[in-house]
Amino acid sequence: MPKSDLTISLNEVLFYFTRAGFGVKAPIGVSEDFARSNIWAAQNGFDPSECSILALDNLDLKKSSLSIKFEKNSKSSHLFCTEEKVLSSLEASVSCVDWIEFNGLDGELKISNVDCPFLIIASLGASQCSGVKASWTDQDNNSFEVNFIDDVKWEMISSSETSIELSHYADVYISSLDAVKSKIQNGKNKTFNLENEKLKVLNNGVKVGEKWPEIYEYFSRCLVKSSAESRASGAGAGLVDTD
Amino acid sequence: MSSESVLIDIESDFMRSPEKVMRLDRMGSSFPTRLSFMRTLIRRMSKENWQFKRTLRKVDKDGYGVSVYSAITPKRTYSLIAFTQEIPADMRTDRVIAEVWDATFSLFDGVPTQEDIDYLAENTPLQEGGRYRPSELVLARANKSLRVFENIISALASGNQPDIELISSVGYLMRTTAVYGSGKFGCADRAKIADRPECRAPFQIELLAVYLIRWFTIDLVEELAKERGGKQAVRLDQNISRFIGVGNSTGLGMAPFLLKHPTLIHNWVVAKETALARVRSIETALPGTLEVFLKSLLQASQHIDEWNVADEVQTARITCLTDEIQSLRMWCEDESNIFRPYPWNGIYQFVEDNFSLECQEMIVSLIIEPHGSIVDDLADTMSTTTIPKFKAAMSLAQLKEVVADAYKWATTIDFSLEESQHHFWYYSEDKLEPRFGSKGVDDGVDQEMPLAIGRDVHDLNEVLATTDEDMPIGEFAMNYPQFRHIIRRIQNTFERPYSEVQDNLLSESMRPLDLLRFKLAFFGASKFDPKSDLWTRISMYQGAPLPEQIQDPNHDCWSFPIAGRSQSYPCISCSCQKAI
Repeated sequence: MPKSDLTISLNEVLFYFTRAGFGVKAPIGVSEDFARSNIWAAQNGFDPSECSILALDNLDLKKSSLSIKFEKNSKSSHLFCTEEKVLSSLEASVSCVDWIEFNGLDGELKISNVDCPFLIIASLGASQCSGVKASWTDQDNNSFEVNFIDDVKWEMISSSETSIELSHYADVYISSLDAVKSKIQNGKNKTFNLENEKLKVLNNGVKVGEKWPEIYEYFSRCLVKSSAESRASGAGAGLVDTD
Repeated sequence: MSSESVLIDIESDFMRSPEKVMRLDRMGSSFPTRLSFMRTLIRRMSKENWQFKRTLRKVDKDGYGVSVYSAITPKRTYSLIAFTQEIPADMRTDRVIAEVWDATFSLFDGVPTQEDIDYLAENTPLQEGGRYRPSELVLARANKSLRVFENIISALASGNQPDIELISSVGYLMRTTAVYGSGKFGCADRAKIADRPECRAPFQIELLAVYLIRWFTIDLVEELAKERGGKQAVRLDQNISRFIGVGNSTGLGMAPFLLKHPTLIHNWVVAKETALARVRSIETALPGTLEVFLKSLLQASQHIDEWNVADEVQTARITCLTDEIQSLRMWCEDESNIFRPYPWNGIYQFVEDNFSLECQEMIVSLIIEPHGSIVDDLADTMSTTTIPKFKAAMSLAQLKEVVADAYKWATTIDFSLEESQHHFWYYSEDKLEPRFGSKGVDDGVDQEMPLAIGRDVHDLNEVLATTDEDMPIGEFAMNYPQFRHIIRRIQNTFERPYSEVQDNLLSESMRPLDLLRFKLAFFGASKFDPKSDLWTRISMYQGAPLPEQIQDPNHDCWSFPIAGRSQSYPCISCSCQKAI
């Protein structure tokens, strides 16, 4: 399983990514949502290990933080890290969805200094947040806009050829779809239909590439080393079964 | 009917409460019912006139090689590809950590090409060590019961029928030691097949694989007998072959599944409890149903006589059950006890007031059994596509209310006591085998699986007690992300009250076996044969019609099957009404 260039199932995405999140000490509830986001990414044809590895690395190396705070004024709202660190997209994504559910889309939400903006997108998609726009300009000056048109259809506009899942470190702005016009001039536009993409994945599986062994490594931290005693006492059946 | 329309029945006076039903001791006394998933599948096979064919048999004189068995439904074909091999006797273990098996299987979606068979020949015998594709729906393996296997071949080869007492004591030729579906090891995700009518009810495709495995085992011994005995060999008598099920060894893997799928469990339990409530609410018994029930008590007694296990606890329970069924039969002989308004409620109430949980749950199965016309529709409500969501808009005040109402069993546990947190659940690096560790004895407390539901609710409740009720849950979860999973669970319980096991799963006295039996009974398993508190052997499809019997009028008459009778399967609910 730890080898690269595998085809895995969506259920395996759920199983391994939940525990990979837990393996870098994200709370289990956050890790469950993180895995659901990765399922959405996989259903749309993305390699979930590419989407997530930086966020897991950052948590593991303590370059990012799960500590988050929320502020609101009359015009806008703000989610930000309470420490002098990058805000982990694992926490940013669940908090963003919670914020939309609780507050609706009255005004703009800014999420500061997020390591993997696409995980926020995946979280919004997994939660079927339609009528929502997300936009950011990353550290390499690539700009992205994502429009959730309805439960299954979404579009992406980008200023460059950079893959959206590889766009890192940005302030992400969330608003109602109609609230802000596109700021990207002559951007590249791609439309996705989740139903069609999902069908392809169900019939062909999810391709994971060179980052998969690192995901598996984080997952493996949830496993307990086996001993003769634990084999004999802690598990199900007898060691040799004849009748 | 949708699961939503079933919810109406939850208000019925005859519905048993979650507090009563979702306790480990009652769950660990469960029996299959006519809503169990194997029963549902067999009814569909018969109704839709499924065809069954062995399409390939490429094996040597000892039966080692590859075979393909197909089930042809009105729209699709499913093919079981079976690989058999010789294995050293000392490597024959039922544990997940086994490396070799007598037989390994893949259920293929459609008709496999030679290329598919070649691919699977490289992977299926490796089981967890292989990789599978979305064209494979199920992965499984099985080991022989050596004494039954050899006895049957010898008998048939010499022109005789095998020893029915021996068959009765074991119940099967091979036992499966794992049946994987739903995307395991690269196999197809459930979503690929969930919309197909034949796959909508839970675990239908896994149980189809098991049904084909049972057919394969019977076909295999008949072929080997023919090889050995030549013209002298005979086939199994149909009454005997119908009594041969397929065994299964079930360990701890099922326990985490139950706890991780609360919505699904709610739907299973609500369907069964609604069936019971519908029957108990009948004022005047439907024609013939009481008579059928009385016959079924006799059959159940015989079934219990044939249920022999080594486990002392279960043996004592079976002995008690024998006496109680006898007492109930005597009580029923007084017609005034049963021929009266609300007869089923009267019977149920008498049993609940006087007899053990084991007897209560057997009677639940027996009184539901003759009522297919009013309960079988509930089988369609037992699956789900709902994933519990975190609801940020709920108020903390409301969350506190749900905790107070639905989780008193958790908030009143004293978790400072060592016995309250004696155990923990973990995954071993040995093929990800789930294990049940003891604190202070086993390593791995830091990698504990998040299944400590009672303790997590208890801890949350303590924090809630000191938190302002006006705080939105979304903000609370930002401050306390460690509670996100348990809040989501509590919110789900608010809508689906039968979703939660209402006992401490970490306590010293906890028996995982109770969870296993609960789930296996929903599958339709019988003859629970506990080998410890951690695992059990069972029999599946014992008494179920074989492929050539699927159109027989008594195809649905295999509740509590009995062996060795000229009428082996006295019907208790269908039109054929065979006598005992």
